Amino acid sequence: MIRVKRDEQPQCGCEQHGAQQEIGRRGFLKRLAGATALTGLASQGLTTRLSFAADGYNGDVLVVLSLKGGMDGLNAVVPTFEPRYLSLRPNTGIREAALIKLDNNFGLHPSLRPLKQFWDEGTLGIVHAVGMSSPTRSHFKAMAEMERAAPGTSIRSGWLDRTLGLRETGTSYRGVQIGASVPSAALMGQSPELAMLSVDTFTLAGIKNADERKRWRRALADMNANAPKPMAAPAKTALSALTEATDMQREGYAPRPTAEYPRTELGRAMKDVARLIKEGNGLQVACVDFGDWDMHAGMGDVDDGWLHDHFSEFARSVAAFAIDLGPIMNRVSLLTLTEFGRRVKENGSGGTDHGHGQAVFLLGGGVEGGQIHGQWPGLGEADLVDGDLAGTTDYRAILAEALEKRCGAGSMSEVFPNLSSDRIGAFKPRN
Amino acid sequence: MTTTRRDLFKMAGTLGFAGSVGAVASALPIEAAEAAVTPKPGSSFVPADQNLHLLRRATFGPTPDLLASVRNKGRAGWLDTQLDANSIDDSDCEKFVKSRFPKLFWTIPEAKNKVAKGDRWNYLISLAMATIARQTWSKRQLHEVMCDFWSNHLHVTAPIEGVWFSRHDYDRKVIRQHALGRFEDMLIASAQHPAMLLYLNNAESTKVEPNENYGRELLELHTVGLDASYSEAEMFDSALIMTGFTVDAEDGTFRYNGYSHHTGPVKVLDFEDNNPTGGGGYDVALRYLRYLAQHPSTAHHIARKLCVRFVSDEPDEALVDALAQTYLDNESEIAPVLRHLFTSEAFENSVGDKFRRPLEDVIATLRILDFKPEARGTDSMRSLYYICNEVGQAPFAWDLPDGYPDTAAAWQSAGTTLNRWNRHLSLAGGWFPKTLRKPPLRNLLPKRLPRTFGGMVDDLAKRLVFRELSNEHRDVVLSLLQRRAGDPFRSDHADAHWLMAPAVAIILDSPYHGIR
Repeated sequence: MIRVKRDEQPQCGCEQHGAQQEIGRRGFLKRLAGATALTGLASQGLTTRLSFAADGYNGDVLVVLSLKGGMDGLNAVVPTFEPRYLSLRPNTGIREAALIKLDNNFGLHPSLRPLKQFWDEGTLGIVHAVGMSSPTRSHFKAMAEMERAAPGTSIRSGWLDRTLGLRETGTSYRGVQIGASVPSAALMGQSPELAMLSVDTFTLAGIKNADERKRWRRALADMNANAPKPMAAPAKTALSALTEATDMQREGYAPRPTAEYPRTELGRAMKDVARLIKEGNGLQVACVDFGDWDMHAGMGDVDDGWLHDHFSEFARSVAAFAIDLGPIMNRVSLLTLTEFGRRVKENGSGGTDHGHGQAVFLLGGGVEGGQIHGQWPGLGEADLVDGDLAGTTDYRAILAEALEKRCGAGSMSEVFPNLSSDRIGAFKPRN
Repeated sequence: MTTTRRDLFKMAGTLGFAGSVGAVASALPIEAAEAAVTPKPGSSFVPADQNLHLLRRATFGPTPDLLASVRNKGRAGWLDTQLDANSIDDSDCEKFVKSRFPKLFWTIPEAKNKVAKGDRWNYLISLAMATIARQTWSKRQLHEVMCDFWSNHLHVTAPIEGVWFSRHDYDRKVIRQHALGRFEDMLIASAQHPAMLLYLNNAESTKVEPNENYGRELLELHTVGLDASYSEAEMFDSALIMTGFTVDAEDGTFRYNGYSHHTGPVKVLDFEDNNPTGGGGYDVALRYLRYLAQHPSTAHHIARKLCVRFVSDEPDEALVDALAQTYLDNESEIAPVLRHLFTSEAFENSVGDKFRRPLEDVIATLRILDFKPEARGTDSMRSLYYICNEVGQAPFAWDLPDGYPDTAAAWQSAGTTLNRWNRHLSLAGGWFPKTLRKPPLRNLLPKRLPRTFGGMVDDLAKRLVFRELSNEHRDVVLSLLQRRAGDPFRSDHADAHWLMAPAVAIILDSPYHGIR
């Protein structure tokens, strides 16, 4: 595919950049109410320990960032000890001198520099050579399988839908897709998800009066209540989430001044996720898509071009998110997924074709950070599978570990059927 | 937007408002939000009339004129006319498009020369604006629906860097030209079009440095589909066969470059060729494309997509098989397949089984309200593009090569639902886009006005959704308007005018309008 280049558009005028409201007034009150449920975490600071208890869910907020199109893990987290890396990628490979050293074996693409501080702090971890049990080089099959996450079964729901389905309670904000008009297939299924382009556009336009709003909401609910599910479900979710969204819009949102979100779709989406987390309205799972990684041609140079710009936007957005949340990141686990990595050998168009083994970024207070997890399969001729980096860690094992250790999940058999109990130790148990 | 819902009611002079908006509120637990209501099937919201059923599926939205036309010609006759799109006089719409968007008729070299660097993005968006105009106002409605279908099937994202000088031509020469013709011709045209070759990187694929992007999607998305179970080696041969199909760097047109064509034996499924020379590579590729277009798996793949488009999200396999056979019997001609589909029992029985996607909702709303573009300029079209983008389905904007999804499950979004509701009201109220020519809402009612508000709601529903609402839903509309069924409705009352916009909007917000 060729590059989808969208201009960095100005943010919509409705945002308020006035008061430094770290936490919305109501969010603060709710967190106080939740405080009685949690004790003994004084050292983590008020905002952290009081979060998320109001709806009965005490696990981490799980943020899933989908890098659709096939993100190039080999150029993101470069195996500097592999001589074949540069011989297979003479034009597109990143030379060691340009990389940010992570350890003796791996270096980070220079555009990912904003993430380095979290590596140093121990909150950023990386799993390399991550794969799927039934690899495919089809974008669409790989995406569908990745989000369904139930290979060898006829299950049709997504893994996040099944995750939410196991929990008894939740608000209409428990599973949110931000920044997209269609929800991730990972959220599809029985549990209602809330998909919105942004918090500020989630509004019933033109109503300024409580009485009138009430009448519209009742009418909209009644008109759609017995509609077939594809209409009734989003209508119901929209109406139940509206009050909260309207209040958030009135309060406005000012991130921490040190959190410099890029003025892009991804930057805005990540800012909205942080906003929802601070609001404390019951967010359990947030999904954000950041696509356009299918760089078959013209991926550019180490300091310029498509891959450089994309890594940079990704890293700046994620870093701003973590800075914005500060200590709250102790109760947030962010992970990235892409349907496959790229072919090890570059093609003739200054790009790479579809491959397999991918790199997964993990960020949060619960991450065993400052480490590359997983098993490195090697880039030797015999190590590659059909020219691809092998997948030595099933991506579902990472998700399962996050759910088990950070999100209070019990048995994984319903979420990830037929998944072995092997875990790689990428997360710390919750205290 | 300056007028608000509140203002509408204020102008109606009916409300005394309590001042302050709610105090501390919290998100409702889902379980407590509402008592469970049993969903009714879609068929209980839309009229069973087969004429309307056909119009809801085969056009961008029924209108009273269209209904009269189907009743007059009979469904078979109407369908025959629509399938022979050139027989329909569409000069008003074409004149509009040609006069407002003349640059879209430039050749590729002209566009490459004349479109200013800072104007490329706009140039691509103007194609989507013209498309919205055609979907709304063309009389060749089935042709427009099929253009949308094929644009998603042989998808080339726009706006996107790299296709700025060719995407408009792709729309004209590949999609519009063949939308009701033969798939084989359309496939071959797409394979030789700079927009596709650049989008999926075939333009830079050579024997020395093959790029497999196009070769893969040609099989997976455009023709046989993954079910055909070709191997990775065959996929790679698919890419090799297409090497040499490239784009002239100077004028931006298609060029076959025999020198960069891979030579040597190739095999994809049952297609085999010794492919001995670069000079003969073009013909090998055309034979390959014809083979793919006429392959039973392609027939099945396209038949299934057509069924999902027109019949049901989970179509009956027997119908898919039968349509695939019709496709093969007619050597990939589209019209016989569509005729078969629309006259099948499975189609007849599918009333209420499909839902309008966001774009279809917006266009159907414009059509049923009988809105027309402004007398000059393109401001209203730009605003409509903005609206389509906001509801998540601007033409061509899907950023993956598989085109917009076509099932209801994929489009279940609370945010989009809210935006659709907002747009119904802003369109009905005439607030945005301001520049559209809008007949007064009173024209939606019969010449002889209803005497009561109950009668007004009945007449409005008959005009907008071709049936009366259930008693329960009629009451919902009336209580939104704060009127009783028997309250007198008089056209000289100001409130009769101001209360019509919310009445129109709430009807369009319902499954009576949302179901296709």
